[in-house]
Amino acid sequence: MKELHVQDISKAYGNIKALDRAELTVSPAEFMVVMGPSGCGKTTLLLVILGALTPDEGHIWIDGKDIDRLPLDERNIGYVPQDFGLFPHLSVYENIGFGLKVRKRPEAEVHEEVKELLRVVDLEGFEGRKPKELSAGQRQRVALARALATSPSVLLLDEPLSSVDEATKAEVRVELKTIQKESKVTTLCVTHNPEDAFQLGDRIAIMHSGRIVQCDAPQNILNKPMSKLVRKLIAPIYISGMEGR
Amino acid sequence: MLACAVAVYMLVSVFYLYVAVGESWNLVVGALFDNRVLGAIAVSVSSAFIVGSLAIAAAIPTAYLLTYGDFRGKGMLETFLIDLPQTFPPVTEGLVYLLMLGRIGLAYTYVAVIIAKFYVSAPFAISFAARRFREIRESGLDMIARSLGAKTRHVLGRILLPLSSRDLLAGFSLTWARAMGELAATLVFAGAVPWRTETIPTIVYLTAAATPQVAIAASVIVETLSIAALLSFRWIAGRR
Repeated sequence: MKELHVQDISKAYGNIKALDRAELTVSPAEFMVVMGPSGCGKTTLLLVILGALTPDEGHIWIDGKDIDRLPLDERNIGYVPQDFGLFPHLSVYENIGFGLKVRKRPEAEVHEEVKELLRVVDLEGFEGRKPKELSAGQRQRVALARALATSPSVLLLDEPLSSVDEATKAEVRVELKTIQKESKVTTLCVTHNPEDAFQLGDRIAIMHSGRIVQCDAPQNILNKPMSKLVRKLIAPIYISGMEGR
Repeated sequence: MLACAVAVYMLVSVFYLYVAVGESWNLVVGALFDNRVLGAIAVSVSSAFIVGSLAIAAAIPTAYLLTYGDFRGKGMLETFLIDLPQTFPPVTEGLVYLLMLGRIGLAYTYVAVIIAKFYVSAPFAISFAARRFREIRESGLDMIARSLGAKTRHVLGRILLPLSSRDLLAGFSLTWARAMGELAATLVFAGAVPWRTETIPTIVYLTAAATPQVAIAASVIVETLSIAALLSFRWIAGRR
């Protein structure tokens, strides 16, 4: 369980500021959701933390250690992209065991670890299947298991429910939350969907134009939105009546 | 209408040869047993296989550099590696090699055949590999592999190459076909020594005036082999 701290991160693409001194702290084992409209800089924030993009300014800290200079493959951060990013040529077993294999873990250890993760994500018996033979929900669970296999310091989820159909969304949301709680991994999830944010997040950070404009527990955001903008972004929650749940 | 005209023009250009053979198919069969033609087939096919294999070996690191390299002049380098060899006059290229490598004794050798064919053929393999590597990079699969701890060798061996295998095969196939048909550079740099540097296109060129029937027979052989290679390419591509 580690703390993630994003300190004054800025990133621009030409004249467009994707991140503008974004600041955020995710406590150990917390499920933090960053919510904001499309194009507000959410995915850029994830990619900067992951190490796939270099920020123009600012620092990323994990458990008090500045990881700015660490390359992507040494950060030990789990990442699940919007489309799950499963390796299409590998089976479920090989996908989950990928990170352990490249770290040269003994075969027996890889086998035990993958077996345990298959149990956690409820996919026992699916180990020989290829990603294309799975449903969206199953693919997401494989991607989660793969990201968790290397015991990452932090787990990053990019719009985790956007590829899941409405009928199974509620179920997948509960599974996602359960797996995160069971693994106790510090999690940062980005979404544009207020319902997903309020169902998943222990805390919610509202993002707009590359900045975190409010960060608090879901109920506090509903009770005391700090601006008109926040109120507008969370309006669907009032409409759906979810705030009373 | 224009498209139909173009299609007819292209098809006639390819298949007229089989009509021109007419009733002389016995000549084609006879050519297959001619010692000189047999030598040319052996040199053409073997050198095309070697060129195809070398092109794939060269295409992998080159495509990786063109995909992941972050340096000035990358676009220019790509033009020099892929576009220019396909537009540069092969006869001039043969002359360049003759002047450059002839002095160290490589002219008129089997190695000269490989060198001359490689320059004009390898861009197909490089182009296919680079295009596929870029697609994979855009999909983010390499980034995910790295986030799981994969080093460059793992990304290459476990992600890029397995996911590019069909494109590499297709690149090999086109490279092979192009190498089979190469004439000018090979003739200038490697000459036409039977069973050593003489290829089927060389025989066609050298016999077209004096014994056109032999030239037609040799042409049918090289064209049939090339069509077979391209059909195999389409079959591979269709399986993707």
